[in-house]
Amino acid sequence: MTRFIGGVEADHGYLVLPLHVRFRAVCILTALALIVVLIGPFVLDPYTQSVLVRAFLLAVTALTVDLLWGTTGILTFAQGAFFGIGAYAAGLMFTHVGYTAGTVLFALLAAITVSMLVAAFVGWLAFWQGATSLYVAVVTLVLPIVVVQLIYSGGSFTGSSSGLVGFDAPSLSMSGWFWFTGTLMVLLTACAWVFIRSDYGRMLNAIRDNETRNRYLGIPTSHIKITLMMAMAALASMAGFIYACVGTIVAPEHAGFVFGTELVIYVALGGRGTVLGPVIGTIGLEWASAYISSILPFVWTIIIGTIFVVVIVIMPEGLLPPIWRTLSKKLPSRLAKAAKGKGAITFYPLAESDIKTFPANMSQPALDLSSVTKRYGHLKVLQGIDIAVMPGELVGIVGPNGAGKTTLMRCISDGLERSSGVIKVNGKDIGQKSPAAITTLGLGRSFQNTSLFESLSVSECLRLARYRHWQPSKTDTADRIGLPTAAMEVLESTGLTSQLDGKVNNLPHGMKRALELTMVLSLEPNVLLLDEPTAGLTKADRLMIGNILTDLQTRLGLAIVLIEHDFDFVKQVCSRLVVLHRGELVLDGEVQEVVNSDLVQEIYSGHVE
Amino acid sequence: MNISKKVAAMAGAACLSAITSSATASEPIIIGVPTGLSGANSTVAPAVVQSSELAVAEINDSGGILGRQVVLEIADDGSGASGAQRAFDDLISNRNADAIITMETSAARNAGIPIVERHQVPYIYTSLYEGRSCSPYLYANGAVPEQMVGPIVDYFMDEEGSERFFLVGSDYAFGRGMLEFTRSYIEERGGEVVAEEYQPMDATDWTSIISQMRRNNPDAVIMSTAGGAPNVTLQRQYKAAGMQALVGNLSVDELTAQSMGEDAEGIYISASYLTAIDSAANRDFLERIETHFGSDLRTPNDLSVPQYDAIYLYKAAVEMAGTTDADAVIEALAEVSYDGPRGTVQMNAQRHAPLTMHLGRVQGDGSVEVVEIFEGVDPGEQCPTS
Amino acid sequence: MNYLFLDIITTAAILFIISSGLLIIFGVMKVINFAHGVFLTIGGYSSLVVTRFDWDPWFSMPLAFVVGCLLGAFIERAILRFLYHRPLDAILATWGLGIVLGQLIIIAFGREVQFADRPVSGAVELLGAFYSQYRLLLIIFAVLVAAAMWLLLKGTRIGLQTRAVIMNEPLARGLGINSSRVRLITFSFGAGLACLAGAFITPLSSVDPNMGLPWLVSAFMLVLVSGNSFLALAIACLVLGGAQVLASTYINPIIGGLTIAVLAALLLRLRPKGFAYD
Repeated sequence: MTRFIGGVEADHGYLVLPLHVRFRAVCILTALALIVVLIGPFVLDPYTQSVLVRAFLLAVTALTVDLLWGTTGILTFAQGAFFGIGAYAAGLMFTHVGYTAGTVLFALLAAITVSMLVAAFVGWLAFWQGATSLYVAVVTLVLPIVVVQLIYSGGSFTGSSSGLVGFDAPSLSMSGWFWFTGTLMVLLTACAWVFIRSDYGRMLNAIRDNETRNRYLGIPTSHIKITLMMAMAALASMAGFIYACVGTIVAPEHAGFVFGTELVIYVALGGRGTVLGPVIGTIGLEWASAYISSILPFVWTIIIGTIFVVVIVIMPEGLLPPIWRTLSKKLPSRLAKAAKGKGAITFYPLAESDIKTFPANMSQPALDLSSVTKRYGHLKVLQGIDIAVMPGELVGIVGPNGAGKTTLMRCISDGLERSSGVIKVNGKDIGQKSPAAITTLGLGRSFQNTSLFESLSVSECLRLARYRHWQPSKTDTADRIGLPTAAMEVLESTGLTSQLDGKVNNLPHGMKRALELTMVLSLEPNVLLLDEPTAGLTKADRLMIGNILTDLQTRLGLAIVLIEHDFDFVKQVCSRLVVLHRGELVLDGEVQEVVNSDLVQEIYSGHVE
Repeated sequence: MNISKKVAAMAGAACLSAITSSATASEPIIIGVPTGLSGANSTVAPAVVQSSELAVAEINDSGGILGRQVVLEIADDGSGASGAQRAFDDLISNRNADAIITMETSAARNAGIPIVERHQVPYIYTSLYEGRSCSPYLYANGAVPEQMVGPIVDYFMDEEGSERFFLVGSDYAFGRGMLEFTRSYIEERGGEVVAEEYQPMDATDWTSIISQMRRNNPDAVIMSTAGGAPNVTLQRQYKAAGMQALVGNLSVDELTAQSMGEDAEGIYISASYLTAIDSAANRDFLERIETHFGSDLRTPNDLSVPQYDAIYLYKAAVEMAGTTDADAVIEALAEVSYDGPRGTVQMNAQRHAPLTMHLGRVQGDGSVEVVEIFEGVDPGEQCPTS
Repeated sequence: MNYLFLDIITTAAILFIISSGLLIIFGVMKVINFAHGVFLTIGGYSSLVVTRFDWDPWFSMPLAFVVGCLLGAFIERAILRFLYHRPLDAILATWGLGIVLGQLIIIAFGREVQFADRPVSGAVELLGAFYSQYRLLLIIFAVLVAAAMWLLLKGTRIGLQTRAVIMNEPLARGLGINSSRVRLITFSFGAGLACLAGAFITPLSSVDPNMGLPWLVSAFMLVLVSGNSFLALAIACLVLGGAQVLASTYINPIIGGLTIAVLAALLLRLRPKGFAYD
């Protein structure tokens, strides 16, 4: 996972402002920007105007790169190709059919439709579960190469390398284009600014930080990424469409991967994930290069390349965020105070009636494994495991290191993991389902190594865990969040309530475990898989967690499976024990019976062959 | 009363300034040259700039145009469309160019056309190209397929008895434009095209195409690849594979052929300008440019000499029109002619120029021998409606 | 038919040579080196330097390798060392580095196409066909590269350590292997191999600042489908390279040019392990 460094601190003040204040702040800034755009043509010479018109459209495209890469962690070189698809939709339509109001509309629709379809296909190729981010980057590199090759091979239809020129298109004066593209750019930037600070935006950040964990919170990350990619493709192609109308020229370089990489460079230099950084960076660099690159073409490229490498290595947050931080320190203290203060997010216990936990069917196993086997090549890690866990049972899985305990958990929570066998959660076969889909069947899983979101705060993590039950807002952040009683109890009894605004990676280890447990409980599962929930905790903490688990088991009837090394803890909480050894289930029975059996003694002392 | 007087004075001043800006003898005439100082064309751009500088220096030494000095403004177009948009905007809106005269890529030319049309600036395009680029403001004095293909194909069929041709090119506008014309020309003359193959523009591995050539066993191969690496790699790999068929190359320039050494031996090229042209005008031109640039001289070639011609053509047109006013100059450009290193050039054929074409054959030592001269080759139907 | 067979074998050999440097870096560091294209180019310019000084053309290969190793070591220490926990940023940094190095090459050597002397030239008769001698030689080079890699990985101490890091880095570190040193050596060696590959392919083509670029995407794709196994890479080169030659011959070279990238992307979607095996 990419370590993220972003304008989070700067935003924090903004986030705690009440909604109407936030809305007003964005409106005021937007209005100021629009006024600047309005007076632009009166003070700028025509050359600068035409440079800026192009820069505005590139800034919109850079914005889409920022939402994909900076916000969500998808490094993409494909936005240039979508820009090109939009440009060519305009060029082809106006050259071969002609320019009427109807064809403008049709071409724009076609641009958006085609680019969204292509994006859906690229997304399908790139965002399968387990695809590495490197693979995604390379796939997005192939797209522009294919698109450009198609343009070249199109002969006189696409104009090949020369592109298309001499078509009639919607025409405005340069000032007209300046106003139009400038307004568009400002409005889209404002929307993006609000969007990435909404609950939905935070969820995208979480996908960037730790996609796997998101899946186990029931968030369908692949689906979200494909949707985002399609939306960004539509925006980029719209920018390309307008670009073609402004210049009445389209050329293959407007779809090429060099263009795609330039956009990434602009975003990196401006400040990824900040929206304003990439927009300002793009406009600034385009403007500067218009004046410098025609005088010093080679040197300009070297300067940009060098700055890019330096920024990536030593200041990955980009050039603009440090400047803002310095500036914001100089803000009048009254403003700074206004931005602090005010109410933080409150969590409240959900009424029992609001809890959507799967109705426990007491007569059927909540979790049912039959002949579950896992092979790596010829090596069998699990062989023919049969376990049934009834609602209200708390089953401990024990066994020495390498017995296959964690592998078994993986097989239960991810349908692609096991080699053969059937697993049912609440009576439903998990088949080849993804972790997110299995989570919606009522399963919650915690990890052996606490797996959290380093750039988020505690309250944001909890929010995230609730997205299975309510759609995150795309414009707003909720300030009241209901949690199931069990989650509230853990939150309160561990003292996490006092840390809600703290960053997750500043929490002590015990707190992280507690937070993870709270998150899993917030999913309202009725089957709980816990991988060493007490590792590294103090005795008091362990006692507390034990009590919570017993309570969940007896009062709410949850089926709980936990992996544990601590026999005292196991004896205290479990109702049943399963012993795994070398991938086989060797014992399954009452706690005392298992603990006292000779076999277990021998396994742990290493005498069993 | 007071107010109307003021308005009248302002209007008068405006008129006056309009007149001075278009006609005063002290105001220089500005020629804008957007060209590929970086990117693919950066190998040839320095020679183009030198041609322009020589022409402008000579014109200024002999009193300028209509008594006005000529100023050259150069801008980098990055050899592509985006850079060209910027360069044209810069030269026309910022540096007030009266005309654009340049050799550049087709994509850059296309990007510039809407801009010269919007600002109504005459544009002379001086590169050989795939043809059929038309705009009321555009003139071209370089060779087009109709002029380049004929000499090679005619010579191969008439003198060498070739019947079966293999066409190979890079997949871009020039490559396809040239070969499509070549195919129709060969078929019209009763020859046979056994294959027409393209490779992606940056590809430098020609293995499968060379194997196909071997299977087809043609009498002659006509190549029209992207300049630079694709061009020379094809020629080298062709030689390395031991192929013997005649080679006509539509995209190699004299200099590159020379630098290839013995791999280029026997290639036929077709050009409106070769340094080996044996005429007084060419010898004189070479002497002047050598004196002017000394050891910094970039060898003049088929892409840079038309630039030199074009500046003189523009001079003649402005003098005929008596103004730099676009419409008048545009009209005059078709009328005027210039006797230069390439012979007499006049852009009177649908905004293109009939040219004297030279068929050259590359020798083992890299020099180019002129095999045959074709006078007044017509560019054919380029912009029939204009 | 013979030509087709020879085309496939020699194309696979070229692909193997140009991808092996990338593979060793990817295997150990889990980083895709976007400066790979420039490394190939630097290998080409090493040949050019050898030509300018009128040295024996064979000398260009060791020279390219040494230049690559030194450059690789410098880049690893100065840049990549800081980016191991940020693989995407490593892609970007190497890409930016590629831009800078490319421009420096242009400033130093000019943008024109230039030529290096070839160690051998002309065609020979083989299996009843006339075939470019140098392309045949490349098969031998590919085998040599593979053999050298195999010997280094299996027969030396650093090879053993490298394999340990490839398999399980935390464990290797736990066993006292200095993984930072392994990375330095790997990147340096991979860069050397990439430059060597550039010197190998130069006699087929010319030397120009973009000469490495057309190979870049094919190399990425081949490495992604091969995981970290040289055997898988060899198979991938034969299968995908063969597909490229067949598509170029029977459909057209433009489709052929896209074959490797598109097939590899689809293959990875359908079989994430690609040509690698357990």
